[in-house]
Amino acid sequence: MADTSLPEVPVKDPSRLQLALQSDFFYQFKRSPVAVVSFVVVSILILSAIFAPLIAPHDPFDPSSLNLMNGFSAPMTPNAFTGETFWLGTDDQGRDVFSTILYGMRISLFVGAAAVAFAMVLGITLGLLAGYVGGWTETIIMRVADVQLTFPAILVAMLIFGIAKGVTPVEYRDQMAIWVLIIAIGLSDWVQFARVVRGATLVEKNKEYVQAARLIGRTSPAIMLRHILPNVLSPVLVIATISLALAIIAEATLSFLGVGAPPTQPSLGTLIRIGQGFLFSGEWWILLFPAVTLLTLALGVNLLGDWLRDALNPRLR
Amino acid sequence: MIRATLLATTLLAAPAFAEEFRWAETTDPQTMDPHAVNSSPVLGFLNNVYEGLVRRGKDMSIEPALATSWEPIGAGEGWRFTLREGVTFHDGQAFDAQDVLFSYQRASDESSDTRSWFAPVSDVVVVDDYTVDIMTTAPNPIFPDSIANWMMMDSGWAADNNATLPDKESGNYATLNTNGTGAFRVTAREPGLRTLLEPFEGWWDTAEHNITRAELTPIQNPATAVAALLSGDVDLINPVPIQDAARLAGNDAVKVIQGIEARVIMLGFPHEADALKYSAETTDANPFADARVRQAVAHAVNVPAILQTIMRGNAEPASQLVSPAMRGFSAALADRPAYDVEAAKALLAEAGYADGFSFGLKCPNDRYLNDEAVCQAITGMLAQVGITAVLDAMPVQNYWPELRADNYDMYLLGWSPGTFDAEHPIRFLAATPNEEQKLGSWNFGGYSNARVDELLPMIQSEIDDTERQAMLDEVTRILQDEVAYVPMYVQPLVWGAKSNVDLTQRPDNFFILRWVTVN
Repeated sequence: MADTSLPEVPVKDPSRLQLALQSDFFYQFKRSPVAVVSFVVVSILILSAIFAPLIAPHDPFDPSSLNLMNGFSAPMTPNAFTGETFWLGTDDQGRDVFSTILYGMRISLFVGAAAVAFAMVLGITLGLLAGYVGGWTETIIMRVADVQLTFPAILVAMLIFGIAKGVTPVEYRDQMAIWVLIIAIGLSDWVQFARVVRGATLVEKNKEYVQAARLIGRTSPAIMLRHILPNVLSPVLVIATISLALAIIAEATLSFLGVGAPPTQPSLGTLIRIGQGFLFSGEWWILLFPAVTLLTLALGVNLLGDWLRDALNPRLR
Repeated sequence: MIRATLLATTLLAAPAFAEEFRWAETTDPQTMDPHAVNSSPVLGFLNNVYEGLVRRGKDMSIEPALATSWEPIGAGEGWRFTLREGVTFHDGQAFDAQDVLFSYQRASDESSDTRSWFAPVSDVVVVDDYTVDIMTTAPNPIFPDSIANWMMMDSGWAADNNATLPDKESGNYATLNTNGTGAFRVTAREPGLRTLLEPFEGWWDTAEHNITRAELTPIQNPATAVAALLSGDVDLINPVPIQDAARLAGNDAVKVIQGIEARVIMLGFPHEADALKYSAETTDANPFADARVRQAVAHAVNVPAILQTIMRGNAEPASQLVSPAMRGFSAALADRPAYDVEAAKALLAEAGYADGFSFGLKCPNDRYLNDEAVCQAITGMLAQVGITAVLDAMPVQNYWPELRADNYDMYLLGWSPGTFDAEHPIRFLAATPNEEQKLGSWNFGGYSNARVDELLPMIQSEIDDTERQAMLDEVTRILQDEVAYVPMYVQPLVWGAKSNVDLTQRPDNFFILRWVTVN
């Protein structure tokens, strides 16, 4: 087919940004101080995690750069060799706590986001299938979901992690640990998405536009993806945000229990686990700073999710 | 007045309450079978339940236990033990010479981890019900010193319960149940959770303790153990995390009991392996077979830094397989290889590994003080000379099987000589592994040196101290020159107890319940 694009219209349309700034959504956002503050805080944390290699004074993942003699330096004390200041002190291995937190947050955020994405794809697919196809497919998918709901998510994740660790050769275990974490958390989290999507699909599939699409002969996958999916996405978005906070905490919990990120590549949870051993001996900074970071991150994401839920809920307007 | 009465009541009530004694250790004894695993958590615990012909006193000296006396036979053909009469096992069966013979057969069987103890033994002869001759292949002056942990098991009980041989891997009745002659009997055993003990009423010796019931709980997390001690949930913890010792010592309700343990922490190598197991690029060669590479490792590990930070100044550096407190320590060879990054790099270059290589370092994470932190630090130090260690830290119950299956490129090992003599680690760690002669059973890497193998029996049978020391010195020099192991430090011994607990701490880190009094 030839190029069908129309010649440029000289009338000035409001740009996308302008549209967004004028939207109801943005108005609500501006009106909510909680949303603004948590958005700013989360943005700062995410950006500093993304740009960790540029911000962090040390590379904590490079064991050859550490000097054990710097171990247990208190916050704001200088490096015994280079004279640089350790802003938040060092841990037992002489690792700069500030740099380690930045890098650790990267792992926590990456694992959290990837796990939620994985859970979302899995949950939406199965939820759509269950809602649209119905019958045995629905029964099987939803009963599996029910059964999984009866197990605590962390237990499911630990089980998957344990099995994966058993079958992975040891030389790849450290690299694999992150991916195994993602799959473990994702698999323990998809039920939420599947349930919501199925419920919404059940409502949507009997509406006229779906029947119309069916009448003109569109295939089932096309109807599910192109017609139903866009209309069930807004609750999914809310769940995804809240799930992100939960996934970050789940990752921290697993790492805290010693089954997550390896100590040579610590996530926030691993850092808290390491720091917890020095609580009685007075080296509080090894525990406190990663814990505060994790708390801030999870709280910020959670508040944003809460606000999003209210903002997208037509009944609350 | 009321206060005085209250005080009096508490004082009266206290002893009855306090007789229950609870203690926590990092490692749960992995078996209740005294012949299955030769490791301190197992033998230390079972010393409360089972007994040997001889036992060690508070000062580690040998004293009579199930044997009342012993004497050499002829010109050193063996030892004659006279057994104690009237001793019964916990199930009521009497102890006699047949049980000694049975325990010898069981403990020296191929399925037993304690087999090496009987390397010098040629035969055990039952003379009568209460006399046993233990024949040795050569005169063995230290034999009675070497069998304090050889515990006696009832032959009838073992046969009835289908446990005549120990089973290291899958376990049998004796893995979970006990029947010793010791001061305490196990009344409940839940592996990994708790083990309950009660005093054995029919014990032959006079009880020194005032305990009516004892409970061992393994607490893997050191900080949790400290919290349990501070909150009064347990009466004793072993060990106290090194970093918390100073703080606990300042607390009036608890006390810290500190000593130098007999245990030397060292790095071991795969001497016999053809190739590295966990290397990304060096898959067809074994750099550690080259003594220069091992020497480079010895120079690269900054032991003073480990001692100062991770051990907080509570440990002594080690240069050989035993600590200076042991008999037969080679005083002339007391210096460790210096920490020298340049020398290490030069040695690596000389051996053809100027660009370094990667390998797998295995480490326990619940066995020795701060074991995982030490391994992590070693990883960093080795990275500074260009060799990359992939650290795999695991609980000790998975650790020994991994080492026995040769699944390592380098490993961390702590060795405490049960005999308190320098000959012990040579027999276990340096002698060429030999099933038949029961030698080298913990020499995982298969280190082998003909001269060491030749000297070992001579050391065992030498009676003259100067001659013996000269031979021990020679072995130590060979082990140092060839860097068979990299000894790093002598582990400190730190226990924490409530201040109303009186106990004796032995350098072998065995917690002996019958010396505990709760005031």
